[in-house]
Amino acid sequence: MNDLLTLSTLGGGALYIALALAVYAFLSGLIGAARRDARLQTSARLAAVAAFLAVTVGIVVMEVALLTDDFSVEYVAQQSRIDSPTWVKVVTLWAALEGSILLWGWLLAGYTALLAITAPNTVLRPWALVVMQGVLIFFLGTTIFAANPFTHLPNPPLDGPGPNALLQNHWMMAVHPVLMYLGFVGLTVPFAYAMAALITRLPGQAWMTQTRRWTLTGWGFLTAAIIAGGWWSYEVLGWGGYWAWDPVENVSFLPWLTATAFIHSVQVQERRRMLKGWNLLLVTLTFALTILGTFLTRSGIVSSVHAFGDGPVGPIFLAFFILVLLFSFGLIALRWDQVRDRAELDDPVSREGSILLANILFLALAFAVLLGTIFPLIVEAITGDKVTVGAPFFDQVSVPVFLIIFLLMGIGPLLPWRKAQEQTLLRNLAWMAGTGLLFALVAFLFGVNRVYPLLTIAVAGWNIASLALLIHGAIAPRLKLTNRSAVQVFRQYAFESRRRFGSMIVHFGIIVIALGVTGASGYRIDAQMRFDYNVPVHFQGYDLIARDGYREEVPGRVTIGAIVDVERNGTYVTTLRPRINSFGQSQMDAPTPDVLYRPMHDLYLSLAGDVLPGQEFVVLRVVQSPLVSWIWIGGLIAVIGTVWALLPRPGRQRQRVTAAKGVARAHD
Amino acid sequence: MIHAASGTSRRLGQLRLALVLLPVLLITLAGSLSVAQEAVELEARVFELAGQLRCPVCTSESVAESSSPTSLEMREMIQEQIALGRSDAEVLAYFQDRYGDWILLEPPKRGLHLLVWILPAVVGAAALVTLFIYIRRWTKAGSQPVEVDPEDRDRVRRALGESQ
Repeated sequence: MNDLLTLSTLGGGALYIALALAVYAFLSGLIGAARRDARLQTSARLAAVAAFLAVTVGIVVMEVALLTDDFSVEYVAQQSRIDSPTWVKVVTLWAALEGSILLWGWLLAGYTALLAITAPNTVLRPWALVVMQGVLIFFLGTTIFAANPFTHLPNPPLDGPGPNALLQNHWMMAVHPVLMYLGFVGLTVPFAYAMAALITRLPGQAWMTQTRRWTLTGWGFLTAAIIAGGWWSYEVLGWGGYWAWDPVENVSFLPWLTATAFIHSVQVQERRRMLKGWNLLLVTLTFALTILGTFLTRSGIVSSVHAFGDGPVGPIFLAFFILVLLFSFGLIALRWDQVRDRAELDDPVSREGSILLANILFLALAFAVLLGTIFPLIVEAITGDKVTVGAPFFDQVSVPVFLIIFLLMGIGPLLPWRKAQEQTLLRNLAWMAGTGLLFALVAFLFGVNRVYPLLTIAVAGWNIASLALLIHGAIAPRLKLTNRSAVQVFRQYAFESRRRFGSMIVHFGIIVIALGVTGASGYRIDAQMRFDYNVPVHFQGYDLIARDGYREEVPGRVTIGAIVDVERNGTYVTTLRPRINSFGQSQMDAPTPDVLYRPMHDLYLSLAGDVLPGQEFVVLRVVQSPLVSWIWIGGLIAVIGTVWALLPRPGRQRQRVTAAKGVARAHD
Repeated sequence: MIHAASGTSRRLGQLRLALVLLPVLLITLAGSLSVAQEAVELEARVFELAGQLRCPVCTSESVAESSSPTSLEMREMIQEQIALGRSDAEVLAYFQDRYGDWILLEPPKRGLHLLVWILPAVVGAAALVTLFIYIRRWTKAGSQPVEVDPEDRDRVRRALGESQ
């Protein structure tokens, strides 16, 4: 009996029950939706909640196994270690493939349950839930049959190796992966509603308005995840960078690009009743790319060009990716008559025109990034040659495209729908171009003399002027109608036009990020130097004095480090302690750089050599990155803007979309 | 975002440590004897060039990013090449000769590799042209007067007439 009642059987059993519930919810939802049987639909919704609870049991069991060091569970044996700190054990859940997919499945089950409980009762809801259950079945099935974390080990080891050193070296491990999956899963909801809209022959805009919050939430999480991942790389990789156009990074960027295009083109359909097919395509592409990304990175085919479809999970995700594309594009083709627009455009120089152009650029960039990521595979398959497509390629392709997108970002929101008035347009353009030139000129006087940084700074000025004009345009007419102060009117506008003002905050955040990227990549100074103890070394206006090296051993971790005093103009600034951690028996070390964060530039020290007793020097990698912290601040601003747009308006009851309304809208 | 970075054991034996660090020390020592600012300039150029070379033993890191012994060694080699007065292109060619095109993070613009440069441009251009064609079609549709059924028009007229 004891053998039967292990954590493995408990967790595995919970997953089987969850899968059975998901299959039931799928089938009863399908039949209930097809026959319009309200009781079956309700049953499916309850099953969705039950499936979430069952996966939750699985997650809890895994956490118990990790926290109690139960090495009879294979995943624990392979990924955990007894003397890891508790928080590391908790997050080891997503330190490797099996656990990550379990987490993804759990979040997906959670979103599905939340949708089943809170989504307004429309004709789309039952079908959307069916699609969500279909995706959930895929994830639970993969977890159980291809990457089961609950496999039982009859002869458990006494201890495990612990997770990858880079993972347990920073608390970001607890945050970034979860944000990423929340983003991916969030973007599954609009996809599910889009499919529901096609199935029910209502490809109007009901599916978009009903999922607006979900889409924006998913986008916000994805944005936060990418920025957080960049900061994490900055803090643990030890070379002072944050983005290397690594395949793993690229595949998280691809759905972000298409999702960003989507949240903009949605507005065109809402306002102008066009781009129905385009929006369906974008939301499908976004969802499919999250699956493709998992395939590319988890199968090992891009990081190691030799292991084609290594492991069972790669082909499974590839098959699901193809299935998703076939299903959704087949459905779009089947419903083409309803999807087709009778589109009209009054003038290309209009809000919709600018969004269309930006959309094309986002998609073209996504294509280039995808091509660059898989190009080595293509070349090797054709000629057998090995080629590398790295950062220089991606920089050259993406920087000009982004500069044009930023130009559009400035002008688009100022253009009215339908048609712009020439006089207003020219006046606005003059202001923006003038501010842009002024920004570039000032930057030039301060010594910025490279083309792309100057252009980026000019575009930043252009956008800041645009934001000022937008706010002025919103406030000025309101001020004329009232005798309240400008601040009060501004406050009222910011709170009432949440979506509009939120988008302004996000755009501002993006500009701050762009400036950060420009400074950090265009004017970064990187050096490796020897520091004799107590001898000051001059670096970019700082005097760095290495005082001592040290070695520290705690259970499960060995740290070597250096103590470096930082002085500027003879005054003490701070003491930095760049270190290298090694964990347990792991052969891999984790650089732990120490950073002096400053608004205008960071000073980044990373240990580049050993620290031995009796050694009277250390070798350090010293990096000065201008404006790099603007990237994290800009990311934070963008997230705040997203939250601002999502919050309900004050003093007004959130409008509930009733079924009748939903249908009426769908027929528009 | 985290990729399995090349694991380097820093608990190296004395010999291995000496082998790896000796050139580093010699060169940094030589650098620190001259004006420190110059050493920084020189090193910055090393990292700029290293950023264009792939670390041959890592999954997808550049020589500037990686902290593997191979990358440390290659950075030293770059430093030596620069000390010999080689130009950037010559330094890159030196590594290209030894490792092949694969070592360059920027694929050379020839042969099949041209595709990765051309295709995005072609696809982007095609997309823009398609957009342009659609915009023209839509603008035409927008400027054309709406055709109204004469019966409908009569009905509207009658209704308006009655209300007046």
